[in-house]
Amino acid sequence: MKKFRTGLVVASTATLALSLAACSSGDSTDSSSGGATGGDAMGNTLTVWAWDPNFNIYAMQAAEKIYQKDHPDFTLDIQEVTWDDVQTKLTTLAQSQEYDQLPDIFLMQNNAFQKNVINYPDIVTDITDSGVDFSQFPAGVTAYSTIDGKNYGVPFDSGTAINAMRTDVLEQAGLTIDDFTDITWDQYETLAKQVLDKTGKPLLSGQAGSSDMILMMLQSAGASLFDDQGNPTIVDNAALKAAITVYAQMVKDGTFSEVNSWDEYIATLVNGTAASAINGIWISGSIQSAEDQSGKWAVTDLPALDGIDGATHYSANGGSSWAVSSNADVALAEDFLKSTFAGSTELYDEILPASGAVANWLPAGDSAVYSEPQAFFGGQPIYSDVLKFAAEVPANNTGAYYYEARDAVSAAITKIINGTDMDSALQEAQDNVEFAMN
Amino acid sequence: MSTMTPVVVPDRAPKKNRNAPKAKMSKDARRRSLTGWMFLIPAAALIGIMMFWPMLQALILSMKTGKGANLNFADPLWYNYERILHDDIFKLTVTNTLLYLVIQVPIMLISALLLANILNNPRLKLKGMWRTAIFLPAAISLVSYSLVFRTIFSTDGLVNDWLMALHLVDGPVNWLGQPNTARLVIILGLLWRWTGYNMIFYLAGLQNIDPTTLEAAKMDGAGPIRTFFSVTVPQLKPMIVLTVIMSINGTLQMFDESYNLTLGGPANTSMTMSHYLYKISFQNNPNFGYGAAVSYVILIMVAVLAAIQMKVGDKRD
Repeated sequence: MKKFRTGLVVASTATLALSLAACSSGDSTDSSSGGATGGDAMGNTLTVWAWDPNFNIYAMQAAEKIYQKDHPDFTLDIQEVTWDDVQTKLTTLAQSQEYDQLPDIFLMQNNAFQKNVINYPDIVTDITDSGVDFSQFPAGVTAYSTIDGKNYGVPFDSGTAINAMRTDVLEQAGLTIDDFTDITWDQYETLAKQVLDKTGKPLLSGQAGSSDMILMMLQSAGASLFDDQGNPTIVDNAALKAAITVYAQMVKDGTFSEVNSWDEYIATLVNGTAASAINGIWISGSIQSAEDQSGKWAVTDLPALDGIDGATHYSANGGSSWAVSSNADVALAEDFLKSTFAGSTELYDEILPASGAVANWLPAGDSAVYSEPQAFFGGQPIYSDVLKFAAEVPANNTGAYYYEARDAVSAAITKIINGTDMDSALQEAQDNVEFAMN
Repeated sequence: MSTMTPVVVPDRAPKKNRNAPKAKMSKDARRRSLTGWMFLIPAAALIGIMMFWPMLQALILSMKTGKGANLNFADPLWYNYERILHDDIFKLTVTNTLLYLVIQVPIMLISALLLANILNNPRLKLKGMWRTAIFLPAAISLVSYSLVFRTIFSTDGLVNDWLMALHLVDGPVNWLGQPNTARLVIILGLLWRWTGYNMIFYLAGLQNIDPTTLEAAKMDGAGPIRTFFSVTVPQLKPMIVLTVIMSINGTLQMFDESYNLTLGGPANTSMTMSHYLYKISFQNNPNFGYGAAVSYVILIMVAVLAAIQMKVGDKRD
């Protein structure tokens, strides 16, 4: 009996210790998020929610310094909140109508912008007349944050897609980056098999059950999962079928390696198990974390879909925009965004080399910083190339039900790869999206 | 063996005399009773405000429809409940959850019972260590263990490394990428996490079994297996009913494993009902009315299963 009791004591102490640890971490997040309320009370402080210390938070800090030159009293209270948490917080606060808990400015994924503003119009401020010149951003990018002709967001980072490739691996397969420039997916598949045969490496990798790749192919042909009226167009969508065919074939060939988590995906790039990456330009930040691969990368455009009208070599994935909340010190927040993210070449010059944040603000592209050769990419001035790509990206109709459609298509892809007939899998996806919409 | 008489279990808790005449309450007794009620009020009020009031509100919410902040009463009021009947993804999540229930709960409870019995053996050495080791998983946060399992079963994870080192498989198995293996991983995780927890209940129950009944069985010539099934198990019955209800209840409401371990994938084939409910409310276009209706359907399922359990388990012989 005594031993049993000792065992229990040990076990319960462990539980207690764990639960105490859980409590203390819970407390610290509580107290930091409690600070979010102070935004409108103090005249010179803005509270901001953003999620990546090396990227968007870094950019905000740089913007703070620039704005402080003219407004010495100005400070930002930047809080690190992951995107999933931002979404949950927005939903919870809006649903309980606790708008006073919102920060002044928050970062929102472009793909989620329509959904949140349509469902909860009271969480954001219309900044159409804020003095921000929205014509200085590509129309395809401001479209994400424009609802009923009103602007609700200042675009931050660009999601322009790049095809980043390991030149040393291509060399082993007897290829160069030029062999992959301005080609079609059919040609790409052939070359991918060649790379796999010669080097044993798949060209691409990605999260299993994620439809990012498919959606990039889709957008590159100017197609979408929705028509202009917002009705899902998952069935009888020639571009979608072509994209899924390519994807499924590459997975089958082993030239596209499916992994299960984002971390594993990044690891395939950093550890060199995959020979290239097709993704938003923001992936360059992760690629460059592998310092031993410096000089072994190059960037080119995407393959185009075969036999699809309007197929191009340009696409986008992700990207985000700054929204001014309904709880904000609106005048200050608008002036801050206008003078920094929508008006300071200096800001973009600083954040580009340090964080790889490629501007959507067109005047920033004229800066000399963008045309500097990047040693990591073998001296290629990739950022000016990316700006050239950005201008060509066909607009994408996300709509409010983007995430539902993406989930449904992801499920369909998994089923198709496991042998379900494509038409019936897509019909099921369409039914599920239509179900969610009514 | 066939002549063995059933062991009579002595009823140690004397039954209360329910037919005692009710005396008229004296002033003193009434005051004491009032004091009792006063003690009850704070807890009762808290439960009322924190549990029953939100439940009532959820019931009202489940009759509303609309996305985000545009909630209005549905026409007809049971619209959301009717909608559930046509929801293929919800049906899939019900299937998944019931699959976990049917496979995992019996395996877990039987192995917990066997472990408890083994660890109750007075001749076992290092008993405290075994008991702690088996119970310890229950002290680990659901999210942590889910993430650890996710890492262990990833394509470049520990399990694949071992299987490949032992030449049991040629290439890495994509555990979380295929419907059945993903479900298997969730079931393995649940077994690891909860078997020790249930074992503790059985161990506690075993302490309450009068050793004389076991001795008597031995004297009558019963072997260990017969003793286990005819003497130990019947006396553990209240404990077994309790753990069955708790396990069924917990499995039907399972969220963490589905959300963190498999992310509901692939193609929703490992998603539980609660995970889907969360998705409806927070990740997709927020549809709280429908989410509330789904939660009530889960509540009804839990209540019905618990009622059946109580009815079956409560048979006094």
